Amino acid sequence: MPLFEGLRLAFREIAAHKLRSFFTLLGIIVSVAFLVAVVAIIQGMNAYVSENLAGAIVGRNAFQVRRIPISVGLFDDEEWRELQRRPVIQAEEVAFVQRAIPDALAVSLQSGWPTPQADVSWRNQTVGDVLVFGVTPPFQIVQDYVMAAGEGLSDVDVRERRRVAILGYDVAEKLFDDFDAAVGRRIRVGRTQVEVKGIVEAKGTVLGQSWDGFVMLPITLFEAMYGRRQTTTISVKMARADQVAGAMLRAEEAMRVARRLRPGEPNDFTVDTAEGLITFWENLTRVIFAVVPAVVAIGVIVGGIVIMNIMLMSVTERTFEIGIRKSVGAKRGDIQRQFLAESIVLATTGGILGILTGWALAQLVAVVSPMPARVTLWSITLALALGAGVGVLFGVYPARRAARLDPIIALRNE
Amino acid sequence: MSGESLIRVSGLTREYRMGAETVHALRGVDMEIRRNEYLAIMGPSGSGKSTLMNLIGCLDSPTCGEYWLNGVEVSQMQDDELARVRNREIGFVFQTFNLLPRASALHNVELPLIYAGMSGRERRQHAARALERVGLADRMAHKPNELSGGQRQRVAIARALVNDPSILLADEPTGNLDSSTSAEIMAVFEELYRQGQTVVMVTHEADIASHARRVVTLLDGVVNSDTVREAA
Ligand SMILES: Nc1ncnc2c1ncn2[C@@H]1O[C@H](COP(=O)(O)OP(=O)(O)OP(=O)(O)O)[C@@H](O)[C@H]1O
Ligand SMILES: [Mg+2]
Repeated sequence: MPLFEGLRLAFREIAAHKLRSFFTLLGIIVSVAFLVAVVAIIQGMNAYVSENLAGAIVGRNAFQVRRIPISVGLFDDEEWRELQRRPVIQAEEVAFVQRAIPDALAVSLQSGWPTPQADVSWRNQTVGDVLVFGVTPPFQIVQDYVMAAGEGLSDVDVRERRRVAILGYDVAEKLFDDFDAAVGRRIRVGRTQVEVKGIVEAKGTVLGQSWDGFVMLPITLFEAMYGRRQTTTISVKMARADQVAGAMLRAEEAMRVARRLRPGEPNDFTVDTAEGLITFWENLTRVIFAVVPAVVAIGVIVGGIVIMNIMLMSVTERTFEIGIRKSVGAKRGDIQRQFLAESIVLATTGGILGILTGWALAQLVAVVSPMPARVTLWSITLALALGAGVGVLFGVYPARRAARLDPIIALRNE
Repeated sequence: MSGESLIRVSGLTREYRMGAETVHALRGVDMEIRRNEYLAIMGPSGSGKSTLMNLIGCLDSPTCGEYWLNGVEVSQMQDDELARVRNREIGFVFQTFNLLPRASALHNVELPLIYAGMSGRERRQHAARALERVGLADRMAHKPNELSGGQRQRVAIARALVNDPSILLADEPTGNLDSSTSAEIMAVFEELYRQGQTVVMVTHEADIASHARRVVTLLDGVVNSDTVREAA
């Protein structure tokens, strides 16, 4: 029997038992949908984390000289005590780093974690819990800030500890209708009066969190208000990504000189990019990727066994039909192909329905949560191959049973 | 009138094992059938008529003995070769019609051509012509349950004819039909015989057998009598 005839028969048979076919396929649909959705979400997150999160935290093509490394995991007690003994980063050390990396686009100093929060108000308008940073002007280059109104902080602002502030877009939007008119207004940050010097263009949201809800002050003013931070950080921005690794080595050398560390003595500082964060994320997804196939495999095997059962049932139900076909000249191979085609079409239909469900699920997750989803071609291909594979694997046995039926015995089965 | 030899069986034996017991359905049948014969096989119930027909129809294989069809020994053939012979050489009509219940008359008749590997268009033409031959040109799209018993048997005959078989076998083709419908079906066989088709038919009833030019009676698994009547 030609392939086309087999496929036509398969579709007719499945269409004749729509509900039964659907329930037969439930296992495959759920497994494949799970596969497609989870992979889509993880892929989406991966792209997102490496494209946005790292850049947002550290800045594009940038690295930091820090007292405490960037980390998502927890330090153990020993490590933590060790880190606590490290000296705080000093403003003077910026110059050492700067001299070591003359090709840096910017070297800045900024107040570190935890960032204090304050109410910001103008006249009777108040925005609560705004993040307050203290920075040196190059920080604005490190973060690629673009001014929506007014101008950025200057060296003079820092040196003279001027009472000026740069507003994040969200804060400015909540306080003022007209940004240009906002420049020069006196607002209050906590209990301190400052003058709005500029407003930064919106950076958008990362992981559902706005990066525009801040007030930026000259670091000298910030330290007068909140005291010297234990976590002050130096940021270095390079022109290109391939310059970062070399610059990090030079920064490390410069810091060792500044700290007068002898050869062999460990660093009492950390030169870091957001790489660690990305690595952590990648490790996490690697674990998920290791678990997903196992879950999918179990689902698919169960789904396959269901298909095999239904196919066996179908062979029994259609013994008479098989007898007729054999009596008019169907060979074993013809019958086997017919039933194999049926189980493959059945399982592949399950795969396709699963892909659609998984895709819809991923879209839903993307819409209702900050998690982005990216349906990838390879997960669709894998899902389809899985469906067809299950059809073959679990269809062979019923098909062989059907093919081996004796025509007269089968005909007696009306 | 009869031509060259079409079928020759000798010492044809078929035993069924039923646990410890062995049922001897055929105990050594010798028989020759020539081209363009019209043969009726008669005999009491259980004498082995259907068993013999199934062997001739290649639906079953003998326990021992020889079966030659068109000069080829069929008794030594394997599954797939038998399927090929069923497909090309034999048209089988059953008492119970044995049609695919969910397929149209046309599709039922197409079935042997599908397994012969004929293309779709050619297939439908052949099937339609076969249905016309049995007088069902206007019932091609009907499903079996939309047809009368006689019409169903005509569809089955069309299916048996569609591959231009060497021999048309019918095991009690009128067993499930009333007498007037039986007469119609017998007229179809008569007409096919006149057109040159070799026909072998099993029947219980003497007036059905009287259509045939030769009557073989079986008794207890062996040939009991073999009578040739000269055509009127
Ligand atoms: N599949 C089988 N298993 C066991 N015994 C069988 C089988 N088929 C037929 N027989 C036996 O073989 C013998 C011949 O059966 P067969 O069907 O050929 O008889 P028949 O002449 O066609 O009878 P009827 O006129 O009732 O159709 C019977 O005794 C029957 O019981
Ligand atoms: Mg019988």
